[in-house]
Amino acid sequence: MKVPPAFRSTKGILGTAIVLIVLSIAILAPILIPADWATRMDMRARLSPPTWAHPMGTDQLGRDLMFRVLLGAQTSIFIAAAAVLMSIVIGLPLGLISGYMGRTTDNVLMRLVDTLLSFPALLLALTISAILGPNLQNTIIAIGIAFTPFLARIIRGEALRVAQMPYVEAARTAGNSDLRLITLHILPNIMPAVIVQATISLAFAILAEAGLSFLGLGTQPPDASWGLMIQASRDYLDRAPWTALVPGAAVALTVLGLNMFGDALRDALDPRTRGAA
Amino acid sequence: MSYILNRVFSMMLTLFLISAITFAVTNILPGDVAMMIMGTQSNPEALAGLRETLGLNDPLLVQYGRWIGGMLTGDWGSSLVFKEPIAPLLVQKMTASGLLVLFSMAIALTCAVPLGVWAAVHANRWQDTAASSTAMLGVSLPDFFWGIMLILLFARGLGWLPSSGFVDPAEDLGAAIRHALLPSLALGLGLMAHLTRMTRATMTGILKQEFIRVARAKGLNEGTVVWRYGLANAVGPVMTVAGLQVGYLFGSIIVIESLFNYTGMGWLTYQALLNRDIPLIQASVFVIAAVVMLANLIVDLLYAVVDPRIRLS
Amino acid sequence: MKRRDFLKTTSALMGGTVLYGLTGPAQAQSEPVRGGTLIWGHSETTQNLDMHQTGTASTGRVLQNVHDSIVTVDQDLNVIPNLAESFEQSEDGLTYTFRLRPGVMFHNGKTLTSADVKYSFDRCRNPDTGAVNFEVFNAVDSIETPDDLTVIVTLTSVNAPFLSRLAENGAGVVMPEGSGDEQGNTPVGCGPFRFVRREFGNEVELERFDDYWGGPAYLDRIIAREITEPTVRLTGLRTGELHMINDIPADRIAEIEGADDLQVVSWFPLNWDFVNFNHEFEPFKNPKVREAFDHMIDKDVLLEGALWGQGAVTASPSYPTSASFNSDLGQRPQDIEKAKALLAEAGYGPNELSVVFKVTTNYPYHVEAAQIMLEWFRMAGVDASIEQLTWSDWLSQVWVDKDFQISMMNFFTLWEPDFLYYSLWNTEGAFNYRKISHPQVDALTAKARVTVDPTERAAIYKDVQQIIHDDTLDVVLWFRNGTIGAQPAVQGLDTIVHPNGSNLRFHKVWLAEA
Repeated sequence: MKVPPAFRSTKGILGTAIVLIVLSIAILAPILIPADWATRMDMRARLSPPTWAHPMGTDQLGRDLMFRVLLGAQTSIFIAAAAVLMSIVIGLPLGLISGYMGRTTDNVLMRLVDTLLSFPALLLALTISAILGPNLQNTIIAIGIAFTPFLARIIRGEALRVAQMPYVEAARTAGNSDLRLITLHILPNIMPAVIVQATISLAFAILAEAGLSFLGLGTQPPDASWGLMIQASRDYLDRAPWTALVPGAAVALTVLGLNMFGDALRDALDPRTRGAA
Repeated sequence: MSYILNRVFSMMLTLFLISAITFAVTNILPGDVAMMIMGTQSNPEALAGLRETLGLNDPLLVQYGRWIGGMLTGDWGSSLVFKEPIAPLLVQKMTASGLLVLFSMAIALTCAVPLGVWAAVHANRWQDTAASSTAMLGVSLPDFFWGIMLILLFARGLGWLPSSGFVDPAEDLGAAIRHALLPSLALGLGLMAHLTRMTRATMTGILKQEFIRVARAKGLNEGTVVWRYGLANAVGPVMTVAGLQVGYLFGSIIVIESLFNYTGMGWLTYQALLNRDIPLIQASVFVIAAVVMLANLIVDLLYAVVDPRIRLS
Repeated sequence: MKRRDFLKTTSALMGGTVLYGLTGPAQAQSEPVRGGTLIWGHSETTQNLDMHQTGTASTGRVLQNVHDSIVTVDQDLNVIPNLAESFEQSEDGLTYTFRLRPGVMFHNGKTLTSADVKYSFDRCRNPDTGAVNFEVFNAVDSIETPDDLTVIVTLTSVNAPFLSRLAENGAGVVMPEGSGDEQGNTPVGCGPFRFVRREFGNEVELERFDDYWGGPAYLDRIIAREITEPTVRLTGLRTGELHMINDIPADRIAEIEGADDLQVVSWFPLNWDFVNFNHEFEPFKNPKVREAFDHMIDKDVLLEGALWGQGAVTASPSYPTSASFNSDLGQRPQDIEKAKALLAEAGYGPNELSVVFKVTTNYPYHVEAAQIMLEWFRMAGVDASIEQLTWSDWLSQVWVDKDFQISMMNFFTLWEPDFLYYSLWNTEGAFNYRKISHPQVDALTAKARVTVDPTERAAIYKDVQQIIHDDTLDVVLWFRNGTIGAQPAVQGLDTIVHPNGSNLRFHKVWLAEA
């Protein structure tokens, strides 16, 4: 297979490498490392700085930060991926219908989407999370719903653009049904944009999960998630800065990788927007 | 003109939708405020009495009517948990957060625009790589992590700036600015990175365009070409993105204000949410959504004014 | 000496809160001076400022200085005169007569009379007020005011704890007649300090009330800055921005005590903690299962882990210096094997029992404690998980709906034993959110209510504690220490802690010239 030029750039290579590494940690760590290594406590080694026994130090309950950050990868990434998937599943049909049908349907749907967009996504997620109660599944729903209006808006724009293209017009005059037009002609043509958007949303979803956990509404202790780890470090910042730095670096690296990967993906799939932010 | 009227009318409609959504959503929140007021000292009889006093037993439609009526007539009611009148409270907290949003916007724009232009001018050379990678790193760090870093460095480490609290600008402007600086930076760094990327992308596109080539061919000095002609055309799109980020900022302040103990809108909304202080949640969520919408409207209108297509013709 | 032993010995010797000590360099200045503004870094946000309606300790702590109660307690928790210069109880225990102190001024310039007392009591007992301590007046038949300085309260039945309950502001506060509606955001009372303003979420300002009946306070002004982040509070104290802070972060106390430029006041108890079982959750209906869980918990390690050792373990929740404290009671030691055996006896093999531990983020140390206990539960073959709830969710799910399996809570200063044992462990108790229904406990707590003789009452409560422990109705863990950190200039700190261990009094606190 030919590697698209975009992925031969430093950005593309680095991004792909980071994403692959983080993904394999998320998948392999729970298999290779016993789950209780992330929750095992040692009251004699509380807030220990990095040592040979604990290469990344320990937290306030003497738990090993390296194991916590490795095992936490799965939680953070799973939540983010599931939430983005959910927002696509809801946002895709909404955006497609709105963009394709136009007129009143478009007006009504987009008015609703615009209204929802006036609520900051984190505020929306926070409120939904407060309504549903804090657990893994509800965190996914909260982030998923909060991201939906944004995705719907982007998909609608794409659908609108594609629907006006000559070949779609031609297919329409040839007597194809609406459903056929949408699924066979429009959908495949907007998929590149959707995939690029999904990658970027994934980065945002990881940040959102961290934010929610930071406010106590995401992942539940003693399970490790990066946001939860940063939250727990707050009271020990000046004594033990590594408790914040370790999970913070994990979030930063993952999001950085996803962003670079997303950029490269955009350049490769969607030459029209090459170079755009 | 009709464009503006149209926009204003649609804004009224959106405002109404916002109010309906806000009311509907806040009413399915579990738990209730009477319990929060009494805490673990509560008992069923006292709870029932307090609920009645607070008007929590009225039908929903009656409560909605009362709320909308109150909002329209300027009577925003009182917070149930804190017993403070809501309207002055919101003015005070909005001022606090407005300070943060303005500061972070100013920080972001003053750094992002020159940096983005600089990167675009040197596209694909080391200057571009340096600026772009820095920006990429910037957008990848969660803002509360920026916040923690800033606290460690400037408050705990160097001791230059206070790490927490809010001071009313009317009381002590200097202190107010010092207290707002770190949270604004925490908010602004991510935003700056984002806007740098945006400016670079827009400028790269513009610098390839015909009129720039014409300007260069005319023998105009490169600085004039870039900053006068190039940037003038980039202002619109960059401003639009910046305006859209107001919504993002109002989400981020929830975490950042809580981290910095900065008692603005984000802090207030979060407290209200935790306390199930329904009137306060409704009012603050509504106000945030309205402000975000207004920011977008203003940007749209400004864009119509500075739109390069209008200018060039 | 272990803290536990310390507790046992001191409880017999001293009254009220046990002052562990006052360390640090208080500036030696014998004569109190008047003046100055004290800036206090308060650990919590004040809420509704209506003394009748608020149930939060943070608000009560500030209002302690604004209000005064009709009677109060001394260091030994004996009820003594306050706004009433004398009080008497009739032979049959049904009538209380209060003679009010003449010339007591309210902050609004009015003089306190029996009408204000009647107004305050009536307001508290009116269900529409939504007063937290509404049930104190349950047995009240009438409140009469024969003259300006006499109040006669008649009960329908004997209520032994009545007078003690009036010794705290929640029920015993006297507000000026007709001031009810303004109490919520501008409280008016007759305490040593006048409420000036609250900048919501930031600070509360109080100023000296020169006409205070107990003599004017020393400080001109108190500014209570609400700083909820513990490390931020500590930084403020260190940099000198704050004169004093309450609630020093537990892991930093030793370090601050060692610092030679700061004073530390520590005392106990500030509050006490216990682990709760839902008695209607099938497995916990069996006392063996409850006992098994008790055996899984190492209380000393838990105290170290969750509170960095800042407290003293106890099996009795009675105020450690009160007559009803059962010092013969010991905690069960950790014994995982025994716990497994007890579970097996109850019919639960390894990993056959699964429980959810609901804990509130309102008390971060509860979240830590729950995580530590979870490890032990898992070691004993229990499949356990945590659900951390915001305060409002905890209150609605655990407190009101009783929808939980295991939880954990703390209580402030329920030094009055009826308030403590009847409310928490009687089937009808207002705080019985664990659905406990123990006939013997019911009978004993009801009997104590109508027992007037103090020795007899104390003996009954000791029996109640024995049952709570024997049948493991809950697992009582520890008393938690209270702490204050202060600059050397802050004087009179030995008087600052109210005998109830929770409230702070600034009447006799003063600032030395720096």
